[in-house]
Amino acid sequence: MHCPLCGCEFDETDQSCAGRCPMAAIQGCSLICCPNCAYQMVDESKSAAAKLLRRLLHSPAEPEKKEPTP
Amino acid sequence: MTRFPIVPSLEDDAHVILVGNPNVGKSALFGALTGHYVEISNFPGTTVELSTGHTDGMPLVDTPGIQSLHARSDDERVTRDILLERGGSLVLQVADARNLRRSLLLTMQLAELDRPLLLDVNMVDEARERGIQVDTARLEQLLGAQVVPTVAVTGEGIGTLRSRFQTARPVRHRVRYDEAIEDAVKQLTPLLEGRDGDERAIALMILAGDAELAARYGAAHRPEIDALVARTAGRYPRPLNFVLTQQRLHAVDELVAAVVLHPETRQAHAGETLGRLALHPVWGLPVLIAVLALFYLFVGRLGAGVCVNWMERVFFGHGVNPLAIWLAGFIPMPLVRDLLVGEYGLITMALTYGIAIVLPIVLTFFIAFGLLEDSGYLPRLAVMMDRPFKALGLNGKAVLPMLLGLGCDTMATMTTRILETRKDRLMVTLLLALGVPCSAQLGVIMGMTAYLPPAAIVVWGAVVTGVMFAVGWAASRVIPGERSDFILELPPIRLPQLVNIVIKTVARLEWYLKEVLPLFALGTLLLFVLDRTGALHLLERWAAPLVEGGLGLPRATTASFIIGFLRRDYGAAGLFALARAGALSVPQVLVSLVVITLFVPCVANVLIIAREHGTKVAFWVVGFVFPFAFAVGVLLHFGLLVLGVHF
Repeated sequence: MHCPLCGCEFDETDQSCAGRCPMAAIQGCSLICCPNCAYQMVDESKSAAAKLLRRLLHSPAEPEKKEPTP
Repeated sequence: MTRFPIVPSLEDDAHVILVGNPNVGKSALFGALTGHYVEISNFPGTTVELSTGHTDGMPLVDTPGIQSLHARSDDERVTRDILLERGGSLVLQVADARNLRRSLLLTMQLAELDRPLLLDVNMVDEARERGIQVDTARLEQLLGAQVVPTVAVTGEGIGTLRSRFQTARPVRHRVRYDEAIEDAVKQLTPLLEGRDGDERAIALMILAGDAELAARYGAAHRPEIDALVARTAGRYPRPLNFVLTQQRLHAVDELVAAVVLHPETRQAHAGETLGRLALHPVWGLPVLIAVLALFYLFVGRLGAGVCVNWMERVFFGHGVNPLAIWLAGFIPMPLVRDLLVGEYGLITMALTYGIAIVLPIVLTFFIAFGLLEDSGYLPRLAVMMDRPFKALGLNGKAVLPMLLGLGCDTMATMTTRILETRKDRLMVTLLLALGVPCSAQLGVIMGMTAYLPPAAIVVWGAVVTGVMFAVGWAASRVIPGERSDFILELPPIRLPQLVNIVIKTVARLEWYLKEVLPLFALGTLLLFVLDRTGALHLLERWAAPLVEGGLGLPRATTASFIIGFLRRDYGAAGLFALARAGALSVPQVLVSLVVITLFVPCVANVLIIAREHGTKVAFWVVGFVFPFAFAVGVLLHFGLLVLGVHF
């Protein structure tokens, strides 16, 4: 994943507190934090409201995910 | 700049050493060069194990991503040692075309090793998409080393890169440091033993604080070397590593200005000016004050004033609560009726606090925080805080978790893992628990300041900041460990995008409703049970000497402090409601606000401290923070009384 603010590329599954934070484990947390600049971004796959809003606004999602190529 | 003569090329059994910052595509390049796919893990510092392979018959080593050769972490230590031990090898540095400044900073250090170096400017496709153009031919000319643009994931430029292995040469372009440092390097290099050609690089690393290298290569002259390092360091107000980095950055900026072209030059200039102002040691402070003032007007006046007024008095006061009470009248069981609409009812208290009071405040706060975040100001604030943090004895890197704490303390506690010493991790965990409110809590706390005159707000800010510094200072003396420096890549200052702000605000509100409201309900239920069993009255009586006598607050605030144990913002919401009802005077609002600000953020935070540092540490943190918060409140109360301050 790319941080849309500083361009840092990172693995969101590695840094996310989702698997460890007790509250996130219960409720699910849709925020991801850039390890370089601390910018918080929304993981829209985990936020129903953000997903709905994005659809209503007809705006492409940001940041984009980059698939590793063998 | 000084130009040094070219030294001979590769040895027969040379290795290719793949070096680069984290997340520049090293693993992808390794795969492209060796033909083996290596799982690409881009989180900074995750390439902790060495990957080896062969390219064109030469052994290739993939080193962990590093920011510099000054070894502070195991990753940096491993990379430094590989580079020093394999003298005749080719250094293949992977640079990020999107962020050349960061990569060239490492190039300048690698250049000092005086080894054949090939610079791979990777991800040029993504740089192009962002409108960034790197003039690699000009860069090659300026560096005096070969530069190849590539897109490692698609294989673009890999053939050219391979074809340059045998003709790679050392970088000619070197940083010329100021006189004091150059003198020190000149004196240090003859004292190093067993090296051939890289004494200058090692001398600079020793000056930067690498005691391991001093012991390894200068054991026979150790006292002399230590004295020289201390003498040189004494000539600068900042640590030598910082000075060296600054001087390298100056050289890098000249290179970047010559080879990187941005299309939006005018916008970038305006942003750069603002960014520089925000970082300026003098002008940065008025910028910060202006930002805080705007924040206060938006959150404190609009959110906590106008919006809460309407929600509480009109929507809930004349709509939701009367309707709920009327409907609850049909419930035959008084206990259930009271649980819903009584003094500690789920609707009349939890929902009213959560929706009518806290929601408008956090909504305005999330909007303001999102704007600030997307503008790129927050990392600059982190840099501004670096100096006071260092005064505390804290690693500058600690600023990042503290900044993250403004989003979520629980997550920030987990990011203390990025800190290198246990001392730093513990100190930051303690400071996060003590005085860094998360976004929702900061919103409510800011909302409460709407009931304070400006002078009282200044006192609140001064007390909380003073306490943080005092605790940090004391902790740095109690907890042993080393200090290290702060390297944070600054994003550009930019205009926030409205769509992103709206989506982020909505996602944060969703989090608030899902995570925070249930805790409010739990807190209310706890109060209901305590009230029904008579325990609340008992607790109020027991706490009276502290709450009434020590803090000078009415007995009714006890309930707010009890629910504050669950979440700091819920406690603040209770105090806010009392302040709105006129039950608290200005000094009382101030004292209660200071106490609740210094509370542990939430139960989730305590659980994560236990998970990260063990239950013993969690016990100590909780055991320290709560009594300490009350002690500060008591001192403030009596201080205000003695000084006769009424505001």
